[in-house]
Amino acid sequence: MIRLENVSWRRGKKQNTQVLSDLSFSIPQGGFRWLLGPSGAGKSSLLSLLHLETLPTEGRMLLLGKPVSKAEKRAHFVRLRQRIGMVHQDYKLIPGLSVADNVALPLRLQKRPEDEIQDEIHAILKWVGLGERLNAPAASLSGGEQQRTAIARAIIHRPGLILADEPTNALEESQAHRLLDMFAELSDMGTTMVVATHNEALIRRLERPALYLERGRLVQDEGATV
Amino acid sequence: MMMPFSGRKDGLSVSEALPDRSLFTLVAMMSFLAALTLAGATGARALSARWAGGAAQLVTVQVPDPDQPLTPASKKEPAGPTRAEAVLADLNTLPPGSVMHRLDKEELARLLEPWLGEADNSALPLPAIIRIRLSDNAQVPNDLEQTLTAHVPGTIVEHNASWGERLKALANSLLACAGLALLTVGGIATLVTGLATRAGLSTRRDIIEILHGLGASDGYIAGRFAWRTAMLGLGGSLAGTVLAMVPLLVLFRMAAPFANISLQSDTLLLPDWQTLQNIIPTDMLVAFAALPFVAAFICWITTQSMVRLWLRRLP
Repeated sequence: MIRLENVSWRRGKKQNTQVLSDLSFSIPQGGFRWLLGPSGAGKSSLLSLLHLETLPTEGRMLLLGKPVSKAEKRAHFVRLRQRIGMVHQDYKLIPGLSVADNVALPLRLQKRPEDEIQDEIHAILKWVGLGERLNAPAASLSGGEQQRTAIARAIIHRPGLILADEPTNALEESQAHRLLDMFAELSDMGTTMVVATHNEALIRRLERPALYLERGRLVQDEGATV
Repeated sequence: MMMPFSGRKDGLSVSEALPDRSLFTLVAMMSFLAALTLAGATGARALSARWAGGAAQLVTVQVPDPDQPLTPASKKEPAGPTRAEAVLADLNTLPPGSVMHRLDKEELARLLEPWLGEADNSALPLPAIIRIRLSDNAQVPNDLEQTLTAHVPGTIVEHNASWGERLKALANSLLACAGLALLTVGGIATLVTGLATRAGLSTRRDIIEILHGLGASDGYIAGRFAWRTAMLGLGGSLAGTVLAMVPLLVLFRMAAPFANISLQSDTLLLPDWQTLQNIIPTDMLVAFAALPFVAAFICWITTQSMVRLWLRRLP
């Protein structure tokens, strides 16, 4: 589960730029939230915060039931990150690696046996339609292929929390719908999901509560009334 | 079964981020200097120990014209003892436990060999040299020189303690200088490794951030860089140490007559292991063997510290 209580985040060397202000919401385990709002509202910043790329400057935060604060040891954050899958807007693939090796990274960092990793890679890449592009360098992929590779990497280790920043903007409609169905299935199986998007069609297709952000503030939490 | 991250499967490509040319070469140069310094330090330490251990208890007496009678023969009396015999007789009054030895001709020739060569020196008017080793804590009588000179004019007494202390201080200073030089070399190696690591980190910044986000621990990322620099340090230091053996062998060869080591000329360039063992002190060989591992450790610990420090900017 995720719980934020009066969480703020300021950036800059003197922490003088307010990015997120006084956010309070909670998402139960297996909960799904759309993250909505205009450009610059702070959606990506909130996802970065939930991905532990930065820490809150104020407030209390629980992620996957564990506290997140500067007082925690670094190993605590490493363990938490290994339980989070993140699909970045710019994919963040490693260009020098093949599709398979990019996707295998979370499993290899967890020191899973290589034969198990190979089985998982083949299954997940087949599912995202990249079974034939296994050994292609990431740098040679199209935008849609990169996005599917990033999605495969985010879910291959069956994380407890999946964060996705515009995960369908480079996908064809049919692929986007398949992805959405998979997200719903993962959520039903107990994976907590937070998905930022501008795609109204997607939101209509999968009716789930949304968090609305504006200028770094939470203006509506549909989950609070569910 | 393949090992996780065998080869380049995490994208860090540390062999490209930390190319072998610069760090390997610089560590090799540092190790070359360190090996020379270690040799100097070992020599200074040996001299210091030697001078501290025994030389202070040594007294050397020189007797010019040793075989001349002390009193010339006359009609009434035959010639008395020689000048050398007279001095030896006087030295019997030294404290009990003192050991006297008059160098024979062969020992004298060997002593002078570094200066006079191996030529026949029998034509030279060489003095008698009497070495006296005093028992521990025994003191030379203050009036020894006065007594000997009065009895056998021209006799010279050299008590090593007076200059032995100065030489010991000199050797200790050399040892301290060698220690400082080694510290400096270690410091430069640390600096060079640090700069190489920083350059490697800046070229891999994006990939490190991705791996960090995927759950790579600080130990994993630091370890990948540190093993690379450690291997470069080990290889570079091994090369530098082996290279340093060449001038050191020449130096040892030149110093061999002083150390009473005889070498065949054909062993100068390619000495066999046994000869090498005889030339180089064992503790120095141990130090040379340890040098690459020390260099590798310096590289490893420097990179570990730098990468872990760098990663602190990420939560």
